[in-house]
Amino acid sequence: MDTLEICYMGAGDLSKLVQSKEISPVEIIEAHLTRIDATEPMLNSFITLLADQARKSARQAEKDIQAGRYKGPLHGIPVALKDLYNTGGVRTTSGSRIFDTFIPTEDCTVAAKFHQAGAILLGKLNMHQFAYGPTGENPDYGHMHNPWNPDMVTGGSSGGSGSAAAAGQCTITTGSDTGGSIRIPAALCGIVGLKPTYGLVSRYGLSSLSWSLDHPGPMTRTVEDTAITMNVIAGHDPKDVASAKVDIPDYTSALTGDVKGLRIGIVKEYFEAPLDPQVRKAVMDAISLLESMGAEIKEVSYPMFNQSQAISSTVLMAEATAYHRDLLEKDGHQLYDPVRQRLEAGLFISAAEYLRAQQARSIFDQQGRRLLDEVDLLAGPTEPVTAPEIMASKVMAGEQEVGVVGALTQYTRPYNINGFPAISVPCGFSDDGMPIGLQLAGRPFDELTVLRAAHAYEQANDWHTRRPPI
Amino acid sequence: MASQNQLSREEFDRLREKLGVDGEPAYLDELFTQVRGVFMMADSIRAIDVSGAEPDMAFIPPTD
Repeated sequence: MDTLEICYMGAGDLSKLVQSKEISPVEIIEAHLTRIDATEPMLNSFITLLADQARKSARQAEKDIQAGRYKGPLHGIPVALKDLYNTGGVRTTSGSRIFDTFIPTEDCTVAAKFHQAGAILLGKLNMHQFAYGPTGENPDYGHMHNPWNPDMVTGGSSGGSGSAAAAGQCTITTGSDTGGSIRIPAALCGIVGLKPTYGLVSRYGLSSLSWSLDHPGPMTRTVEDTAITMNVIAGHDPKDVASAKVDIPDYTSALTGDVKGLRIGIVKEYFEAPLDPQVRKAVMDAISLLESMGAEIKEVSYPMFNQSQAISSTVLMAEATAYHRDLLEKDGHQLYDPVRQRLEAGLFISAAEYLRAQQARSIFDQQGRRLLDEVDLLAGPTEPVTAPEIMASKVMAGEQEVGVVGALTQYTRPYNINGFPAISVPCGFSDDGMPIGLQLAGRPFDELTVLRAAHAYEQANDWHTRRPPI
Repeated sequence: MASQNQLSREEFDRLREKLGVDGEPAYLDELFTQVRGVFMMADSIRAIDVSGAEPDMAFIPPTD
């Protein structure tokens, strides 16, 4: 089989070939290492590539499968983790040279679950330093580059995850999402990114940015691969104080292709914010398609959307500064200036202001829950713009020039505040060939409905089959 | 710490010195801009009626 074909196959298809022994994990890993060799100089997706370790694991997987010890759909499938997921014996930098030689002694829970499922760890992925930024710029390990145009950002903070999945460097990648860091690079790189409900996927062993806003989750090329990955990584973890005790369904059962009767709310405030007309059109076309497939579309209002940036930023900045306070005092001078400035700005938030933001967060959450009594899902753009240029501080959203950081997080932060599951799925391209994402959010722990709608929409299009020109 | 009044550069310098924050002039100029943003956010949140609302308790594991 052609190397590139292997690299662009999903875990769903690859696993069938692995189980039937038509393809070996060794072939799969070699194909991906070849792809990485060819594309990494342009993309810079990886901080640490584990070629030898992956080859060894692939040989072991091949032996196990030959011997009838097949572990399931991720057995022999390449996985790469954002470099703030602790991996026992493998350095974990959090995107900063300060941790260049930090080698954890144990796996985080998600890495351990991938290992138990037989997935093969291909490497650790580049990211915005300490996950504190939405663009994917990193002076320590080099900026990440968008596979659709290397002059443009990948989005962040899980930028390497976005570029690696989009460019066929890896089948399954992971991110962490505090203000949009899974969904932003997913939208800007043209892949699928799911921020699961807060508490559904364990945070144990991940470097934190903001305890109450952090959500680990999958980033893949298809909704099916996201569902397969959730079957492995979701579930209660006593090591994570916020981990939820809920029943874990088979997420692939949502992949029915049917949206008949689903009630989808279009949040009117999303379309009153600065928004590129090409993005608006792509998203409205996607919503019209869902309606033609049988979904019921209804305009709804989320009045506190306009306060969501202030609530989210206040909580995030206070928690991030608290978490990194010692680091800031000891090694602040080694931090990327914008990251250091955000951490130092957090010092100016009082406890009373933090708690008032948390009170406002409760009201924001209640408003969201009431909305989801009226409808099953909320839909809108993931991003108001396509990928900006690397190091740009401003971007045009239609006629309006807006700050990059605020723009990239304006639609994603609301679902970090309320913890609802939210997915970005490709829904088109701009005239200059850059991907656009549709965001769908659902009720807490109702990932099945989110995946159902995202999959049905995906299968009615060919956006997910397009490949970047790299 | 943030107040309803717009933060002046002199107030910012006084506060940052108390907090032990220092840096090159260009760095501090940018930090000043960010901190003014923090103060504006505080004003925005202060305008929300939060009476009767308890702070969000994110760390209580959800079950619904």
